[in-house]
Amino acid sequence: MKIWAVASLCGALGASPLVAASTQAPLLTPRDSALHALNRLAYGPRPGEVDRVAAAGVMQWIDRQLSPDKIDDAALTERERQFKILEYDAGELAGMYVDARRERQEREASRDRDSVGARHAAPLPQRMDPSQDRGRRLAGELQELAVVRATLSERQLYEVMVDFWINHFNVFLAKGADRFLTPSYIEATIRPRALGRFADLLIATAQSPAMLFYLDNWESVAPGSTPPQAMRLRARPLFGRAPQFGRPPLFDPGRDPMRADSQRQRALERMPKGVNENYARELLELHTLGVEGGYTQQDVIDVARIFTGWSMGRPQQGGDFEFHEWAHDYGEKVVMGVTFPAGHGRDEGMCLLKLLANHPATLHHVSRQLCQRFVNDDPPDGCVDDAVAAWKRTEGDIREVLRAIFTSPDFWAAPNVRAKIKTPLEFVVSAARALGADPDPTPRLAQVVARLGEPLYLHVAPDGYPEREAAWVNSGALLDRMNVAVALAAGRLPGVAVSIDAIVPATADPAQLIAAVNAQLLGGTMSENTKAVIGHQLSDISDPLQARALAIGLAIGGPEFQRQ
Amino acid sequence: MKSGGLALFSLGLDPLFLARAALAVPPTAGPPDRRILVCLFQRGAVDGLNMIVPHGDPLYYRERPRIAVPEHDVVDLDGHFGLHPRLAALQPLWNNGSLAAIHAIGSPDSTRSHFDAQDYMESGTPGAKATPDGWLNRYCQHDREHQNTPFRAVAFGPQLPRILAGSAPSLAIDDLQAFGLRAPQPAARDRLTRAFEELYAGSATGLLSTSSQEAFEAVQMLKQVNPGQYQPANGADYPRGRFGKAMMQIAQLIKADVGLQVAFADVTGWDTHVNQGSSEGQLAARLAEFGQALAAFARDLGDKLRDVVVLTMSEFGRTVRENGNSGTDHGHATAMLVLGGPVNGGKMLGKWPGLDPANRFEGRDVAVTTDFRDLFAEILARHLGATDLATIFPGFTPDPARFPGAIRA
Repeated sequence: MKIWAVASLCGALGASPLVAASTQAPLLTPRDSALHALNRLAYGPRPGEVDRVAAAGVMQWIDRQLSPDKIDDAALTERERQFKILEYDAGELAGMYVDARRERQEREASRDRDSVGARHAAPLPQRMDPSQDRGRRLAGELQELAVVRATLSERQLYEVMVDFWINHFNVFLAKGADRFLTPSYIEATIRPRALGRFADLLIATAQSPAMLFYLDNWESVAPGSTPPQAMRLRARPLFGRAPQFGRPPLFDPGRDPMRADSQRQRALERMPKGVNENYARELLELHTLGVEGGYTQQDVIDVARIFTGWSMGRPQQGGDFEFHEWAHDYGEKVVMGVTFPAGHGRDEGMCLLKLLANHPATLHHVSRQLCQRFVNDDPPDGCVDDAVAAWKRTEGDIREVLRAIFTSPDFWAAPNVRAKIKTPLEFVVSAARALGADPDPTPRLAQVVARLGEPLYLHVAPDGYPEREAAWVNSGALLDRMNVAVALAAGRLPGVAVSIDAIVPATADPAQLIAAVNAQLLGGTMSENTKAVIGHQLSDISDPLQARALAIGLAIGGPEFQRQ
Repeated sequence: MKSGGLALFSLGLDPLFLARAALAVPPTAGPPDRRILVCLFQRGAVDGLNMIVPHGDPLYYRERPRIAVPEHDVVDLDGHFGLHPRLAALQPLWNNGSLAAIHAIGSPDSTRSHFDAQDYMESGTPGAKATPDGWLNRYCQHDREHQNTPFRAVAFGPQLPRILAGSAPSLAIDDLQAFGLRAPQPAARDRLTRAFEELYAGSATGLLSTSSQEAFEAVQMLKQVNPGQYQPANGADYPRGRFGKAMMQIAQLIKADVGLQVAFADVTGWDTHVNQGSSEGQLAARLAEFGQALAAFARDLGDKLRDVVVLTMSEFGRTVRENGNSGTDHGHATAMLVLGGPVNGGKMLGKWPGLDPANRFEGRDVAVTTDFRDLFAEILARHLGATDLATIFPGFTPDPARFPGAIRA
């Protein structure tokens, strides 16, 4: 059966662009197209899912995935309750980190005073530091939560898009305050808008403390501007304390007046003194227009000037977005030929973000990235054009842009099927899903993803984890994937319980075993060579359980399963 | 051999070399080049002023009443600078001319963010974040002569660092002994390895095919190296811990002659904001481990050090003045070490700007007088024979007139 025949099953789409696709007549069977959709819109099929999606109609399944709020996800919701990190807000998380750091510093200070101990003792291994442990535990919880959601959610496309935006609007979990600002960035900034309008997502990230901190905009001020705290500091008499103004002081001078003055000096020195271009540049280069989007260095500077004063409450308290009038540059700016007249405040930043969100270069840049994710590392122009057209028509409704990609002939074209290599996250999660595995709430499965090269939320550069296969395929990484596959098949991978009996029953017949592994885990894509190699390996193994573990390990660690 | 699929093995031909022959890579002329570069990253920003101490400068003592290394503890090098006492193990290398130090080196970018500064030092493009690959990888891309070994570029750690990211093949090895398939018994491991090798040889395409070939060749070569059986030579005593182990494994690979040309390892723990200590203390303990590992490495290599250059780097230095917590904050320029047979050693390199506040960067930090790319470029050109430096450091014009003179002519 051809894809256009499948399409005719899905009344939900009505007169969809798929009519155009039908003229291409891609040679995919219903099972093949179900497998393709499950590989790209989801983290791979679970046992039996290819058949279920094929029977119900792949376009109908896609349509459902585009409306995640209509998909019941109660089992995942129940599972999420195990993650304490969801119960804390940024302020509470910040408090934990600040307390932990203070404890650590006090411990270090007392250790250092103990000169005999300090003289010959080797530095303590890092894992013995409980405050660091607490930070690591929260980070581990956050990473595991992402893996659990990807594995168990029924709203698969939604989780895939959350991952896409997390990387598009990358922040780095290990940079200072982002340790405790990232959880709310994920929960409150990205997740509610993952299938909404691009402009809303862009504005939300621009105002998110995690991004303001990560790309330094919170410290970007008009040159010559003076923060109210600095005026207070300067106003204080030497050797004395000024009255409090309701806010906590920047420092506690304590009882030592000399120390108080040097601390005051340091506090004044630390105050931001000018424009920081970091966010402005990445906003243009990565978030919106793209590196070839036609902007100049002067545009970057004026964008940075527009965002002066876009700041936050004190990061160490998990502060929220604040606009600081005193820090804003009220002069005239020109960005890509558009004049922003003098005298405007926060409103000109909002205006600029809307302008960028609807700029043709942004439409093309972000559409192309979506096609890289869903179609091919090097996407054909056709699907990008389809996405851009939908973007224009719907003013950046992400859901409709995606629909255009999934109904584009390119999405279904044979050269793009199995053309992408799984990222480590996709590999681990798809393997777990294929085996009907259940990740436990410990961070161990997320650590497997990290070991394979993708520690979540820890991509240091602002471009996020790459979509190119060259970034993921290297010799050490492949050996590691093979080891993970073998351990998972043998039920030895920590952090996850597998239930293989229901999927591939143990059998003494190698041919039957190979056929089951091919059908259940590889969706029927197993090559003749793979069948021969596995068959050969099974020839002298009499224990059916051992044979099954070996066959599954080889299948998941083998080349076919690395592709999607 | 049990099946036709294994016929290649029975001929004694390595399928990888057959595949490589098909790629028509021109063979290198003459004897193999054994010159090796080892890059070490002191992550966290080492305090260059307490590592290579300007003990001849009274301002050093004035600015650091609690953490300066007392003059009588410093291991003097040239009358003005000296080693931190816990680096004393390196003194013989200085004396025999195989160790040089360069001060006031760093990035033209003014960032004091660890994260940005490390990124810039590894991408080799200060100020440009979108650079997709690292400069060591770009070196490997442009110079293909060592392509016939999977061990040409190896990072010792769980991940491939930014500096080696890119299209040229490079291995990330966390532990030589654990590199490869894992199984309870050697026979089971060999069988599993062979099975995956056959799977990939017959079913993989594209990058999956080439990378898996590299992997299995590396595993095969490692088997002969027998990483579990290594004994350092000449009584070399590596310090315990991750860094000492990495240095030992680099020495092991060098001696195993597997074609290693570029090695990389991290050494952490330099972000000394609080109670960094002076002759003893926190920083001293890190320096002791660092110096001991370098000295053991040199001793272990013996004659082979002739072909090796070790380059240490750190993202920036620390404030000249000690802070209110007997530590130092993020600064600008720092010091780097260059060690090995080809090194123009026994001398301080670079231009010392002094500690006078008027000459400091933004009034507080040691100013950068040598762009780190000038040192890196010199080592690539004069030690490894790189010719296309402009490609390795885009946006930068390397000029031999600015090379600090780290490599003997």
